Amino acid sequence: MIKVEDLSVRFGQKEILKDINVEIEKNKWTCLVGPNGAGKTTFLKALLGSQSYSGSITDSGAEVYKNHDRNVAFVPQHPQIPIGMSVSEYVMLGRSKRDGWGNESKKSRALVADTLKQTGLFGMQNQFVSQLSGGEMQRALIARALVQEPTLILLDEPTSALDLHHQIAVLNNIELLKERGVTIVSTMHDITLAAMYAEKIVVMQEGKVLLSGTSDFVIHSPELQEAFENRISVFTLDSGRPVIVAKKDLSN
Amino acid sequence: MKKLGSEGAISPIWNWKITAVSFSLLIFVVFLAISFGPVPLEFQKIIRTLFGLPGGLTGQERTLLIDLRLPRALLAAIVGAALATSGAVYQTVFRNPLADPYLLGAAAGAGLGATIAITSAGADLYSLLPIFSFFGAILAVLVSFFISGKFFAEPNSLLLSGIAVGSFATAVQTYLQQRNSSSLRPVYSWILGELTVANWQKVIWSSIYIFIALTILITVSKQLDGLMLTDEESYSLGINPNRLRVIAVIAATLATATAVSASGLIGFVGIVVPHLVRGITHRVTNRGLLTIALVGASFLVLADLGARTLLSPAELPIGVITAFVGAPFFLVVLRKKRLVSQ
Repeated sequence: MIKVEDLSVRFGQKEILKDINVEIEKNKWTCLVGPNGAGKTTFLKALLGSQSYSGSITDSGAEVYKNHDRNVAFVPQHPQIPIGMSVSEYVMLGRSKRDGWGNESKKSRALVADTLKQTGLFGMQNQFVSQLSGGEMQRALIARALVQEPTLILLDEPTSALDLHHQIAVLNNIELLKERGVTIVSTMHDITLAAMYAEKIVVMQEGKVLLSGTSDFVIHSPELQEAFENRISVFTLDSGRPVIVAKKDLSN
Repeated sequence: MKKLGSEGAISPIWNWKITAVSFSLLIFVVFLAISFGPVPLEFQKIIRTLFGLPGGLTGQERTLLIDLRLPRALLAAIVGAALATSGAVYQTVFRNPLADPYLLGAAAGAGLGATIAITSAGADLYSLLPIFSFFGAILAVLVSFFISGKFFAEPNSLLLSGIAVGSFATAVQTYLQQRNSSSLRPVYSWILGELTVANWQKVIWSSIYIFIALTILITVSKQLDGLMLTDEESYSLGINPNRLRVIAVIAATLATATAVSASGLIGFVGIVVPHLVRGITHRVTNRGLLTIALVGASFLVLADLGARTLLSPAELPIGVITAFVGAPFFLVVLRKKRLVSQ
């Protein structure tokens, strides 16, 4: 269990996160949704432990920024792409924490080969990461996170640059992590996809948590409408799956 | 080197045989440098002299080897290793393949220090030139650090303040030169780089600082790969990116300042050598940093051999040789970078 209590983050005078209290369950997929500027990415960085904050975030009882033994994978929305680095080198970086920097084991090389196959990148290991398409790069990021064998994975908009087919492929890959006992926290603009994959949704607006709960409960709640200023419509398909779309008329 | 992608396997990221080969290359090149020159020295006799065996060189030949050629070749090796390693580290830290060791104002600061030493009191201060240029380089980088408060948030701001400090120091240097026109020639010769005044004292003090700096850099070299990612990614892989950047920049600056004060401004080594090693090995990993240091050492020993033999008995400034090879190479890198980013 990751327990977030009275979490606040300031950048100078500006308060980015305000008194957040949330519990994130182990081995579940929690999705942060909300409009741009709601503080979702900053929340992910605080969960990683790299962002200074006031309040408390404890993972299995230990304060996150103090616990350097945690193995947390981070998949950014805008990765820094190293010029001249091959796909296999890039994915191998994920083993650095397990093997020690620069000491990749034979087991790690085998794991990287398997993971490249699993994410459909095998055969491209020679290519530069800078030459990958958006979808391939996203899969390389997921592959690196998979070989890291983390206990928690944080993903910032993992599907933002992908077409529909690749969105599902990447999300299916992430879902595999749950079977390995990994806790998943992601931000996602597409609430329909969030409802499809996440067990729990946290709705954020202007640095605050408006509501959190099971996906089904949150999707049909008035707080979700409030977060998006009543500019979304929720439909339910015959299969029972909810679909959330933006309203065309933005004057409402 | 075996290339990636053979059936079903991922090759090791770095092959240490490359490092061993580059070490052998350095030994070979140093022997080449100390045996070649207007007075050729016999290879066997050099070996016997160096190992204290009977039948070695005697008289003037021995003096030529021990007091002139050997310290000069070793100084070239030490300076080459320092400049190449610092260049590679700056390129990683600033995520800029065209970054070079003089970028943070070290060159201009050292130039200003050297000019002050040359122009102020003549002969007395000239012997202190290395100290003046060393502190000039360190001071310029410290001022760059001080001005760029946002270094931790954005490495490029340090780069920009380095450029500003460099321009300011160059302006002061030019002013001093104009006021003392008799100093133009020695300052100019120092700016082009010189290893002619190499002696054992210089070899020893510069090797101490450079050894410390390179030991630090090679120790952290494996982690430096993490700085090619975003700070959050490198943090998640067990690195404190801010701390690592500061350690790397301080050590690289110490190496650069020492190199500059020992031999003047020798350009392009810091760009040519790292890209040469990366190009040949198809690897950008900083695990190759020791190899870059060894190849940098060989490169400058060879350049110095060229500088003193091409127009023998006259000498070319070593900076001319490195720039002659380096400038076209720089353009090729620029072109490649554009192609990769397209």
